[in-house]
Amino acid sequence: MSASGRRRRGALNSGFTMDETVAEYIRRTVLKIPRHEIMEMLTMWEFLSKTQLQTINVHQIKEKISQEVVELCEENSASIKQAAILDMIYNHTYRNKKVWTVYQMTKAAGEETDSFNLADFKYKFKRSLRSALKNVTINFREYEDNAIWIRIAWGTQYTKPNQYKATYVVYHSQTPYVFISSLRSSLPLLCQALVHASSYHDIHEMELRSRCIDSLKDIVFKRYSQTFQTYHPRPLQERNVAPEKVDPRIIQENKREKERIQRVNQEVFGEGLQPKIEFAQYKLETMFKGEPEMDILTEKEPFRCVVKFSSPHLLEALKSLAPAGMADAPLSPLLTCIPQKARNYFKIKERKGILSASCLGP
Amino acid sequence: MEEATAYLRDGVLSHLEKLEAHARKLALKQEETQRQQENLARLRARIQELRLQRDELQTKVNLQQVGLIKQEGTTSSNVEPIQAAEIRGQALLKWKVENVKAMLQAFHLTGLSGKLTKQGVCFCISTAYEGTYLDSYYLDLLIQQPVQIRHHSVPIFIPLEQIAKKYLQTNIKCFLAMLSDHLNAYAGRKYQADQLQDHYSAFLEGTLQRNSLHNVLFFNYDVETESKTFPFRAKLVYGDLTRSLPTEATITCKERWALSCLSLASGRLDFIC
Repeated sequence: MSASGRRRRGALNSGFTMDETVAEYIRRTVLKIPRHEIMEMLTMWEFLSKTQLQTINVHQIKEKISQEVVELCEENSASIKQAAILDMIYNHTYRNKKVWTVYQMTKAAGEETDSFNLADFKYKFKRSLRSALKNVTINFREYEDNAIWIRIAWGTQYTKPNQYKATYVVYHSQTPYVFISSLRSSLPLLCQALVHASSYHDIHEMELRSRCIDSLKDIVFKRYSQTFQTYHPRPLQERNVAPEKVDPRIIQENKREKERIQRVNQEVFGEGLQPKIEFAQYKLETMFKGEPEMDILTEKEPFRCVVKFSSPHLLEALKSLAPAGMADAPLSPLLTCIPQKARNYFKIKERKGILSASCLGP
Repeated sequence: MEEATAYLRDGVLSHLEKLEAHARKLALKQEETQRQQENLARLRARIQELRLQRDELQTKVNLQQVGLIKQEGTTSSNVEPIQAAEIRGQALLKWKVENVKAMLQAFHLTGLSGKLTKQGVCFCISTAYEGTYLDSYYLDLLIQQPVQIRHHSVPIFIPLEQIAKKYLQTNIKCFLAMLSDHLNAYAGRKYQADQLQDHYSAFLEGTLQRNSLHNVLFFNYDVETESKTFPFRAKLVYGDLTRSLPTEATITCKERWALSCLSLASGRLDFIC
């Protein structure tokens, strides 16, 4: 009873009734947040005042918490914009739940890089997207590492934007890379808007997908540890290898081989932690090489098969294969070239051109 | 029984012959196995021997490194001068190695150093700003016609492709100089921005807004007079990517009648420059 009373009072004070869809959206977003993060995210949101936040009891059931938040938002007259910002905060914190695809933009030959203006970018992006489709919700949020997050909720000519299936785009200024997640349709519209806003010429999808967007950034911005031959050794990171207390009577007879494997592994993978990707897919279109007697398979057509490697942390797993004795060192370059070529979807044709950079469908 | 009768039919002597042959075969086999076992035992003993010898030599080497044998050198006079010579040789080698290391370190401190690789050369550009050394960036080049960059650790927003297109094939010195200027300027700008954020956070309101190349900076700061505080917003533009000083500074104030306080504002800029 008191809840509905409060709502009416709030409406009377401000003369504004919050849209039902907005209220529902905020309620569902708050329900998604784990209990121990709720206060932190609401504080980051900066929409509710400190006194208002103090009235929320975080120890009751979540249904009640979300209801209280919705009522406070009603008092402050929340619009879809603020609701979208709360959603962006949630998705930024749990960014590793989505699968991100990397897109690369190219400039036409001869164009110089110009200084980037954030306000200009936002204006051009909104204008380009809105000119094609009126029913979109667009929100921007900048983060400390120069990342610009864009949230787009798509509608159609006759329906309002669907807030629950929003697309997220992450862009770092003055780089040609864009990270996009949850895109179902409307890809050409989004690409057009991005290219126009950032003054590039063209955009194409790279064969690089993963859940961990920070690792994708490490790969394309080349922030992962690569080995370079140098006389000046960089300060070694502290290794977590405690000296093993081995019985001195045990003698390692193939110590040299182990050291060779360790050295080769280090040359290929570098010293630091590898970027985190979850799978690598190789689509083979090579001819079957078998016994001449097996006529059935020695046809003129290539033998098609798809090999997929998956792991919670694929590159670290590959790095530990040789020292564990499960593979020969050095590993096949098809596996080790993943960070350098910035792709984890490959199409392998016959000997003539081993790694052809052709686009793969989903 | 049937066999015996069969043999006896052929003749007692032939039977005896066959038994003899059989016995000889068995004896040979026994000898063979015995020989193999003896061999095995001998090899095992040899392994033990060699291991002992190896351990002995190992301890000798260890002791020599510590210098204990020198103390016992009174027993054999021949050993001492040889040992001393060896130690002197080692010391000389050590000195030479230190010398070379120091020279390589000096090269590294100049900002541009390199190492020949199998197919080319790997350059290391180290950046610094006003006496503080900052990050190093690496560039692996393939020396062939045309010269190619194999891989590098230059950040993506430095216009490497443009500089390479202009200078890499024609004038490598110029290419490296330009790249070094860009990288040093970027490192300098980033360092200044970080220092401003860390050490002057009391003056600033909120955080510094920067872009990837750190060539456009926005920040808010307050100027306090006796009567009130004026919020100012400064925008620094670094037009030249190879310099670490701004080319343009724009200061705006939200309050209209703060024009008279512009002198105060320009005075406050001292702590930035």
